[in-house]
Amino acid sequence: MSQQQTVPPAGNPAETAGTAGAPGGPQGPTPAAPRGGTARRGFWAGRSELIMPLLVAGIATWLAIETATMNVMGDSVPGPQFFPTIVCIVLYAVALVHAIQLLRHPRLPDLTDDAVNADTSSDLLGDLASASERGRERIAGRTPGATLPQGWKTYTDWKTVGLIVGGIAVFILVLPVLGWVLSAAGLFWVVCKALGSQRPLFDLIISLVFSSVIQLAFNAGLGLNLPGGFLEGLI
Amino acid sequence: MDQLNLLLEGFGSALTPINLLWVLIGALLGTAVGVLPGLGSSMAVALLLPITFTLDPTAAFIMFAGVYFGGLFGDSTAGILLNTPGNSAAIAGSFEGHRMAKDGRAAKALATAAVGAFVGGLIATTLVVFFAPLLVKMATAFGPAEYFALAVFAFLAISSVVSESVVKGLGALGIGLVLAMVGVDGPSGTVRYTLGMPQLFDGISIVVITVGLLALGEVLHIAGRIHRDPAMERIGTNGRARLERTDVRKALPAWLRGTAFGVPFGIIPAGGAEVPTFLAYGTEKRLAKRRGDKEFGSTGSIRGVAAPEAAGNATAGTAMGALLALGLPTSATAAIMLAAFQQYGMQPGPLLFERSGELVWTLLASLFIGLVVLVILNMQFAVVWAKLLLIPRHYLYAGITVLSMLGVYAISSSTLDLWVLLVIGLLGFVMRRYQFPLAPVLIAVVLGPLAETELRRALTVSEGDVSVLVSSPVTVILYSVLVLALVVSALQHLRHRRQKSAAALGGTGEGPDGGSGGSGGSGGEPVAPSGPTGSTAAADASGPSGTARETEKMGTRL
Repeated sequence: MSQQQTVPPAGNPAETAGTAGAPGGPQGPTPAAPRGGTARRGFWAGRSELIMPLLVAGIATWLAIETATMNVMGDSVPGPQFFPTIVCIVLYAVALVHAIQLLRHPRLPDLTDDAVNADTSSDLLGDLASASERGRERIAGRTPGATLPQGWKTYTDWKTVGLIVGGIAVFILVLPVLGWVLSAAGLFWVVCKALGSQRPLFDLIISLVFSSVIQLAFNAGLGLNLPGGFLEGLI
Repeated sequence: MDQLNLLLEGFGSALTPINLLWVLIGALLGTAVGVLPGLGSSMAVALLLPITFTLDPTAAFIMFAGVYFGGLFGDSTAGILLNTPGNSAAIAGSFEGHRMAKDGRAAKALATAAVGAFVGGLIATTLVVFFAPLLVKMATAFGPAEYFALAVFAFLAISSVVSESVVKGLGALGIGLVLAMVGVDGPSGTVRYTLGMPQLFDGISIVVITVGLLALGEVLHIAGRIHRDPAMERIGTNGRARLERTDVRKALPAWLRGTAFGVPFGIIPAGGAEVPTFLAYGTEKRLAKRRGDKEFGSTGSIRGVAAPEAAGNATAGTAMGALLALGLPTSATAAIMLAAFQQYGMQPGPLLFERSGELVWTLLASLFIGLVVLVILNMQFAVVWAKLLLIPRHYLYAGITVLSMLGVYAISSSTLDLWVLLVIGLLGFVMRRYQFPLAPVLIAVVLGPLAETELRRALTVSEGDVSVLVSSPVTVILYSVLVLALVVSALQHLRHRRQKSAAALGGTGEGPDGGSGGSGGSGGEPVAPSGPTGSTAAADASGPSGTARETEKMGTRL
């Protein structure tokens, strides 16, 4: 996946805790860097999405191999391989068309793109609401005219995502050993930290309270057994 | 009036103190999750679903009735005050709602939304009570071919007709179908796609999939962009949300119009309330134009809030009817509800009313109670709910992460489920990153097994003759409507693509114009003139001429 950190990392992420956005909120300079960066963009710029057709084709291939080598039981006529074959064909077709679309029209990141709603067609909704162009932008999930914070990035922040995924993996590994209270508190704390919390000690207290309340409510109140870990017997 | 007696019995078992407590807890939790910015009602249902599994079925479904409508009530609060609607069904209501809030009428907008949601939900649920037996009768006449046609209709309507991109929609659908096929194949007993792991013989739990895609995927998505999201402007509200007589007189017709749009869409598998809410909003907009209403699009019209909110909850109400009577989930949220039934070993559909009639009528009664509780909670304590918007986002998402883990672990205390959850969360993340719709995955996971079984059953009976699939009037009608919808949607996509390329050639670029509809002024968002979005701000500043041109174009377009 092409990771281009064209925007210089800013000192303070504009993650405002309590005072979520006073009107004159954090304002950054025009993120001109991504545009300037477009001059020397490589083949992968705007085409990182090719990972999706690859993923879909990969799933289809796995499906095909598993279907072909399936140990079929029974002898009903449309057997257990029938439906997967149809799905497999659809997946290959979708992957092919999607890849061709991306090769022909790379999609550069949109500066005002803000979590596009992919579940519903914005064209359809825009027509239904007889929306203006600006309204259509809003429907599509963009925020035209929004105040962009300092250190604004067009690309996925892999460090934060990696921290959280890592945190979850560690949580799953230590859950049987450390028990729910400590593991869940640790996970809560890591996610807070990754998402830009500035108060590690205060977070620690909140995490412990949060996980303990869940343990108490579920073990005592609802009768669900969460692992106690080595603290078993102590609490 | 058989239904009335049954419903009264339902009320009888729902109106016990402990069950009222469950409704209240559900309503509180649902509203809370809905209010929180960026979290919608489907997330509320997905997160809270596994936690209810420790309860007995009746208590769990009573609580769910509260969560189901509560999320919808809450969605509009975030939309009105923050301009960040919790899910896409709340977008339409937030247009005028946020304008009213900026005009200092936040409390009134919240009250209009709450009463609208109440009216829509109430009428729709009443209709369900009276027409559910009719739907059940219809459904019992359905054979394998008809059920397969219904499933295909739901698949293609949600993945192709209403989704942003047909290719991505079909891709998401396929991924969902693959997830649904893991495990032992029912009809033949063949073990499929389990990677040799006996824990997967029962398939991947739908709960793991919904929590992974909706909750964990969302957390990772936010994590990937948390240091760059534009700052939001929060509007405070004070006083109790109250409506005066003149407001009610204005809003009442809009509530009813919205409900009329919402009711039929609950039964059509078209992805939920987006289409009816926008339809309701568009109608109000056109009516306002004809009436010469100056408020609409500038300071915010009460009717523009009332209609979409009523439509949204009316859709949710009848969607519950379609789910209970036909076993057909018409939206992602309904698909999760269906998963809840399956978790308790119940299959929604015609047989549910016979086998678990008592539970169904208690659930319907709880929906009514939930609506009453919710309208009180939202009218009286609007200010308190707005306080939830102050929770820092890192605590919010840390909480969601931990609760997802808890929910999935609660199903069967297995760490393998947690690993599957993480993988599906990552899948949800990349899908969001590249704007793949998630609703088709959920629908495919829920309806996939049904589609496969019924298709094979139909073909076995006909000995491989494919024409059996289109041999009855019901199937012919379903497929014709589907083809018609696909053609209309294709034409619409083509037209917009042509307009976009024409605009690009004309040199107008992507510059959106200011204002909306007929109103001249830019009655829109908080535009900071010094804002860094150079092109956008500039286009806004040079608004008027552009607006006039655009309005003209809109006129011819519609």
